[in-house]
Amino acid sequence: FRLNIEGLLVYFPYDYIYPEQYSYMLELKRTLDAKGHGVLEMPSGTGKTISLLSLIVAYQKAYPLEVTKLVYCSRTVPEIEKVVEELRKLMDYYAKQTGVKNDFLALALSSRKNLCIHPEVSSLRFGKEVDGKCHSLTASYIRAQHHSNPSQPVCQFFEEFDAVGRQVPIPPGIYNLDDLKDFGRRKGWCPYFLARYAILHANIVVYSYHYLLDPKIADLVSKELAKKSVVVFDEAHNIDNVCIDSMSVNITRRTLDRCQTNVETLQNTISRIKETDAAKLREEYRRLVEGLKEANVARETDIYLSNPVLPDEILQEAVPGSIRTAEHFVGFIKRFLEYLKARLRIHHVVQESAPQFLKDIYEKVCIDRKPLRFCAKRLRSLLRTLEIADIADFSAITLISHFATLVSTYSKGNLYDYDFHQKTPTIANPVLHFSCMDPSIAIKPVFGRFQSVIITSGTLSPLDIYPRILDFRPVTMASFTMTLARTCLCPLIVGRGNDQVAMTSKFETREDFAVIRNYGNLLLEMSAIVPDGIVAFFTSYIYMENIVASWYEQGILENIQRNKLIFIETQDAAETSMALEKYQEACENGRGAILLSVARGKVSEGIDFVHHFGRAVIMFGVPYVYTQSRILKARLEYLRDQFQIRENDFLTFDAMRHAAQCVGRAIRGKTDYGLMIFADKRYARADKRGKLPRWIQEHLTDGSLNLTIDETVQLSKHFLRQMAQPFRREDQLGLSLLTLEQLQSEDMLQKIAQIAQQA
Amino acid sequence: MASLSEEVLLVVKRVRQRKQDGTLYLMAERIAWGPEGKDRFTVSHLYADIRCQKISPDGKAKIQLQLILHTGESTTFHFSNGSTALKDRDATKELLQQLLPKFKKKANKELEEKNRMLQEDPVLFQLYKDLVVSQVISAEEFWANRLSLNTVEHSLSNNSKQEVGISAAFLADIRPQTDGCNGLRYNLTSDIIESIFRTYPTVKQKYAENVPHNLTEKEFWTRFFQSHYFHRDRISTGQQDIFSECAKQDEKGLNSMVTRGVKNPMVDLLLLEDKTLDEVRDCHGAGGRPTEAPSDQASETSSTDGNSRDSDFFQPPLKKVKLQESIEYDDLQGDSGRKTIALNLKKSDRYSHGPIPLQSQHYTTSQDIINSISIIQHEMRNYKPRLTQVMSSNAASSAITALSPGGLLMQGGAQQTINQLVPTDVQIELKHLYTAAGELLRHFWSCFPVNTPFLEDKLTGHLEEMLQAAYSKFQVWQTRRMMRKT
Repeated sequence: FRLNIEGLLVYFPYDYIYPEQYSYMLELKRTLDAKGHGVLEMPSGTGKTISLLSLIVAYQKAYPLEVTKLVYCSRTVPEIEKVVEELRKLMDYYAKQTGVKNDFLALALSSRKNLCIHPEVSSLRFGKEVDGKCHSLTASYIRAQHHSNPSQPVCQFFEEFDAVGRQVPIPPGIYNLDDLKDFGRRKGWCPYFLARYAILHANIVVYSYHYLLDPKIADLVSKELAKKSVVVFDEAHNIDNVCIDSMSVNITRRTLDRCQTNVETLQNTISRIKETDAAKLREEYRRLVEGLKEANVARETDIYLSNPVLPDEILQEAVPGSIRTAEHFVGFIKRFLEYLKARLRIHHVVQESAPQFLKDIYEKVCIDRKPLRFCAKRLRSLLRTLEIADIADFSAITLISHFATLVSTYSKGNLYDYDFHQKTPTIANPVLHFSCMDPSIAIKPVFGRFQSVIITSGTLSPLDIYPRILDFRPVTMASFTMTLARTCLCPLIVGRGNDQVAMTSKFETREDFAVIRNYGNLLLEMSAIVPDGIVAFFTSYIYMENIVASWYEQGILENIQRNKLIFIETQDAAETSMALEKYQEACENGRGAILLSVARGKVSEGIDFVHHFGRAVIMFGVPYVYTQSRILKARLEYLRDQFQIRENDFLTFDAMRHAAQCVGRAIRGKTDYGLMIFADKRYARADKRGKLPRWIQEHLTDGSLNLTIDETVQLSKHFLRQMAQPFRREDQLGLSLLTLEQLQSEDMLQKIAQIAQQA
Repeated sequence: MASLSEEVLLVVKRVRQRKQDGTLYLMAERIAWGPEGKDRFTVSHLYADIRCQKISPDGKAKIQLQLILHTGESTTFHFSNGSTALKDRDATKELLQQLLPKFKKKANKELEEKNRMLQEDPVLFQLYKDLVVSQVISAEEFWANRLSLNTVEHSLSNNSKQEVGISAAFLADIRPQTDGCNGLRYNLTSDIIESIFRTYPTVKQKYAENVPHNLTEKEFWTRFFQSHYFHRDRISTGQQDIFSECAKQDEKGLNSMVTRGVKNPMVDLLLLEDKTLDEVRDCHGAGGRPTEAPSDQASETSSTDGNSRDSDFFQPPLKKVKLQESIEYDDLQGDSGRKTIALNLKKSDRYSHGPIPLQSQHYTTSQDIINSISIIQHEMRNYKPRLTQVMSSNAASSAITALSPGGLLMQGGAQQTINQLVPTDVQIELKHLYTAAGELLRHFWSCFPVNTPFLEDKLTGHLEEMLQAAYSKFQVWQTRRMMRKT
């Protein structure tokens, strides 16, 4: 139906609405009005996506000059596709209500692997292979060669797109990945390049975080997005880690070895070209002097999204003379490589900051900071000049060059260390970690460029920490609760076994026989009373392995198997996918199943357990990150020094957001229900409990804080029996589900005002 | 008659049958015998028809083999090739011994199926009694039509009998008992063994291979419980453990399952991540098994079952459904979106015309009824009371009494319907006759169009006879009814 959100006409494609959706849209509207950034937390399963889309699309239609584009970033491919499908629903509704044909262009963008329609290339299994193969068919000089030598294979789809695809704009409509492929097949155009081109004039773009946050990708894809865009990061509870990852580099000996071969290839190619086509290299030299100036002009005129890897000062200068010629540059890289190799020969752990590293490199091999900073830029230019077809082969040297640029650019907030990985006792396998400590570096250009950035997720508590670690000033920060006609979630904190032994995954006691046995008993008891699926999360793979092994020895596993089938997540994604599918199959047949999984694992981050797929989630222990890691320690130190965030606060925050993420997997809507069992007595403490999202905290009563297994079973039984009663729309109406009339009543509007809690 | 394509498994010369010399042929599906010098078989039995074979005792002078058919008939072959007669006979016997069980199963299945159908369907059973037992039509004819007709239902009804699953706890339930002197005792029942076999097909295979030639049953199970395979610690203990191979096979099966990938794209963790594009990082983890899936094999699987990555032609439907499912909020949606399940009717007319008691009035079709109801509804909707022209209360109450059951105008309704008039046994008999006649008519009509001599024969001679028989049966019933009535 049609809503009036503070004077904005919003079409909402459903007959009913949740009160919190209305409240969410209100806050969102205020954020857009203020042209500022926002942090909004709303539980999953309350229709966050459709609220976002409805409001922003309405805003775009009402003020086409204020907001020209919506960039919706999600984390996984299925999620991207889900968003596009919801958008399709909304647009269909618009068309039906207004009778006007949809004039919006909305599309999803994904990697080549998901979009390629070339029969040979698309059959490759890994994204990297697809990219490499695609590049070897579509690179400009390959195509130039094709002109003179038609036997040189090129991609027909790309040729076709290049010939005509750019002139004819893609007709308005909603294009999901499969729609793009269909469209591409019909026209004979490459869907990937079509999509990449089309995002520039599309009204709505849906793609993955990396396309905006990873500087290497953003530079290619998102550089030219309009400033008047609204950027949404959905499921953003992990956004700081994504930022850090995209700015961090790991280098092993293997990388260096491969880099060595890359350098040799480069050298050979250069000497060959020099004999045949010296003019080409001279041309490049000239371009380097001038080209960067152009980029600078572009940035100043605000056409491009800036790239944190290439900060402003680089653009203001030309590439330094010492690496401007191709041979000099290769020599430079070689020197750098030798230095790194020497550093990796050490046999103990070293940790140093970027300035220390730079000082050392200057003293030992006389490499200055400035040329290092231009490494990435220079290499890209060289590869282009040398007409290297298969970029995938040159991944090692590209990596090294990025490292060089990063280490020399960001002296603050970065650290690198050698880690001494001992896979086998005799062979040392050192790894050089260059870790970014400051997530704000990667996301800064995004906040700086776009007028509104919305960070939203089901679990963002405590809200105030995100603006701090990402270094931005939001205009709205709000957390919404879930209005419920029946309390369909039941968080319980189990602190003791029936023998009164404390239950905790605390390091000192986690291997205790009694703790493990109690955990086993808890799962056993729950497996007997919970229908269908149970998902259990452990704090790490190793801990899970240990526990499962000792459950086996104690015969607990056998007894659990009496009640339900058991599936286990492993580190192998393909294996786990299979386990997941079989788990779902088992939930649909017979007595259900148990999935043993790991917090921070792929399952906890990307898979929902709707309805019978997850009637109970058990969180064994508090999922603290591995605190002995040097990188983490450094990051904590950095957080303390720069943002005044205490180590413990951050660790607890991080553990609790993952715990909330895990248990939140089971509730995907108001008709769904599930038990959330926190099996660790530490959850009962106020500092932990207080960091859970408000919509979970609300239902944690004092009576459910330190339960024994027996008490848990009693409460669960009671809860499940209640939930098994039929639940109809009438029960919800007026409370957690509203019709238009109900929404317009004064009373309700007052109630709604209380849903949002400003942080 | 001997088609060339038939595979001949064994030829035995000089076999007498009915005092005639000839040659016995054992083919893939039947056994046949032809007299010497003639090019056709005078005796030919499908293996499926043979119930059993009998041989003459060893000491006897005549070396014979007798085949007994399901119909009760029997055929005797006399092996008369002097010295090799005994060997010939034994060879034949051996071969038959191998062949017969294969076909027996099929025959039995058919019999079972017929039996099941008769048991499950009382009407059919009655029909069978009326038509076959009273020899109106032959059993083959009865079934010939039936079985083909039932293939559709057959496949449906076959599912109704569900296999009993395996108890999840069957292994936990085999508690070893200590026998008091440092040993363990496992009690195995045939159920448990069956469960083990079904859970671990490879163990079953091993069992078939090793028991009883290499190991006794007891030894086999002892080893099984001792083996690492059972104890799940998959440390292979070399070749001497017969179960180490099972573990390997299991592993292989799992691996092939994993490489084949999952069907539901929403749970495929490999597809979750979306970051490549000149990606430079070493990727471990997800790319952990590149060596196991050479690309040619990958394309092969995709063409056969269509659930691996590049199968665009198969994936979208499932993917679309899953996507739609995952974005649906059923409580936000209005009622209009409620999904209905299509009623699947084989005979829709029987559904819409339920059994209606025979009325003395003219026949009202269901359409008429629906029409009249809608007319009444329409009238009721447009009904406006005209209060100036109402009846007096006296007249109204008398009208109501007249319209109540037993009232003046409701006499007709009290009339007994025919099903109350006729005694139940007569009714039942009539029903049987009706269905039997119906069946015969079905046979009759199924002969049209008459395009084979067989059908013509059936139509002219045979069926007429049948109908005659049925008719006379009806006559009998009629007279009996009359007699009873008087």
